[in-house]
Amino acid sequence: MIKKILFSYQNKTQLIIAMMGSFLGFTFLVTSIHYLIRVNEFGEGEEILGNNTMIIQKQINNFSSLNITKNDFSEREIERIRNEKFTEKLEPILSNNFDISLQTDSELIPYLRTDVFVQSVDNDFTKIDSTKWQWNPGDDFVPIVLPREFLVMLNTFASAKGIPPISDDLAKSVGFKFTLSSPGKKEMEKVRIVGFTNEVSAILVPSSFMEYGNSNFPKDEPAIITQLMLTVKEGLFGEFESYLKMRSLESKENSMVVGKLKSVAGTLFSILITISGITVFLAGLVLVQYAQLLISRNEYEIRTLLRQGYSPQKIIQSILSYFIKVFAIISGASIVAFALAKYFIDKLLVKGGIQIDSGFTMLSILAVILAFGIYSIVNYFNAKRGVLRTP
Amino acid sequence: MNIHFENVMPIPLSGLNHSSNSIWGSKFSLLKGQKVMLNASSGKGKTTFTHIIAGIRKDFNGRIQFDEKEISSFSPEVWAKLRTEKVSFIFQDLQLFPKLTVEENLILKNSLTDTFTSNELKQMLQALQIEDKWSIPCGILSMGQQQRVAIIRALCQPFHWLIMDEPFSHLDLENTNKALSLINQRANAIDAGFILTTLGENHNFDFDRELNL
Repeated sequence: MIKKILFSYQNKTQLIIAMMGSFLGFTFLVTSIHYLIRVNEFGEGEEILGNNTMIIQKQINNFSSLNITKNDFSEREIERIRNEKFTEKLEPILSNNFDISLQTDSELIPYLRTDVFVQSVDNDFTKIDSTKWQWNPGDDFVPIVLPREFLVMLNTFASAKGIPPISDDLAKSVGFKFTLSSPGKKEMEKVRIVGFTNEVSAILVPSSFMEYGNSNFPKDEPAIITQLMLTVKEGLFGEFESYLKMRSLESKENSMVVGKLKSVAGTLFSILITISGITVFLAGLVLVQYAQLLISRNEYEIRTLLRQGYSPQKIIQSILSYFIKVFAIISGASIVAFALAKYFIDKLLVKGGIQIDSGFTMLSILAVILAFGIYSIVNYFNAKRGVLRTP
Repeated sequence: MNIHFENVMPIPLSGLNHSSNSIWGSKFSLLKGQKVMLNASSGKGKTTFTHIIAGIRKDFNGRIQFDEKEISSFSPEVWAKLRTEKVSFIFQDLQLFPKLTVEENLILKNSLTDTFTSNELKQMLQALQIEDKWSIPCGILSMGQQQRVAIIRALCQPFHWLIMDEPFSHLDLENTNKALSLINQRANAIDAGFILTTLGENHNFDFDRELNL
């Protein structure tokens, strides 16, 4: 009966407009948060390097080929790049300064022996499990990350020999051996592949193995640093790219493109989240204003109910439950609209060759629940103030 | 529940000269079960008196106590409980819900305490000759009919005191007598008292006490 008195005879135009505004705000909010999360997740898990992490090196030109310009980094150059605004983390990549070759060590795969180039990077830059990425002299095997191109080459070789191709899992389980050598000295170490990479062209080894090789099988020439591993701060890919151009540096193109795409998309979705937040806030204000108007238009009814003995709390609860239903309709409708939009957007992305996780993100749904909660709390205090102020 | 007044003076009336027998500024008590007539001409503060007891107006000096409790200390929730169980009111402006039917207006009040059945409500309407208005919105009833609905509504709860502010102003003599009789029966049945404000008319009723403003 209280609801009939308070709400049945009201003009609902303003309520409907505010509901539509909130619905749009909620829908944009949930959609933009969802896709911001998915954009940030994009590409994760496929590579061993951390997010926004890439290798940079000096551009190779005719002068470098003729040894007129240097393509290694000095300490000063490294320090300068480390202090740039876009740099989150930077470390030189250590390369082998000793002779090393890799050979197959299993009957399951064709015999192959080749000189190789190994590198080690700080484990902070990689997603390799640090417990698996350790080596000490005397250990059974050296864990390595193999460039995928190397496996492709091995399979080409296998097919030429009429041997079935080697899968990732098989490659991880069969034996390989390193041979470390220096004049008059030779040592063999068993090798176990723990992962593959598209991002690095050399075989990655733990830094302890690199130090062991460099100190026990040293060459006459000093080691030089030709590549750096760098993590770019979120959203600063534009500055990073300009810097590379200006300094004649280069980065592996695919990780750069993904990083740039993520940076641009992330910025766009962040803008959309801000706009959605403002829309939700403004629509919330209109709803609060509607509630205030409703209370003020119903002053006679509220006053009479109070004088008849209705408890203020009961009247407040009636107003609150009415608006909770309104907010629940808005939230529910926005989640349904988001699910529909998501279905079509995901389809478009798949069609465009972008594979993203098709599940719902908990945080985006939580954002709607949070907005619903804030609306309800604000409305409770609004109703309380309005009812208790009624003379 | 007894009501005690001690030097009560509404602030807007404090500048006026009040007669020596006026209750304003004096000390007196109303005892449970008393039938009291509050007699005064217009502008002397009858409605103010009703509203002060109802907890609607707080702009007065002095003290009013319901039994031992001072009413100025009551919270809105305490007032709600008192208005449901101990004090009932018929306001001069009736305060019905014009868009609700007679039935809905009565049930709105009755549902707080489930004092009467639907049949009993209809019998009271019959006693006041408005039983045919059961399903009619109050807004389209005459003032006299609305006044009778407001009287019945005020009876739809347990009370120690029924406070009535000129409740028969739109009723003829016959209907006034019927309404007063109904009120008296109900008050006697639950051992309650009432205060009736009038412009001097005692409605041929034998009041226990007469107050003046």
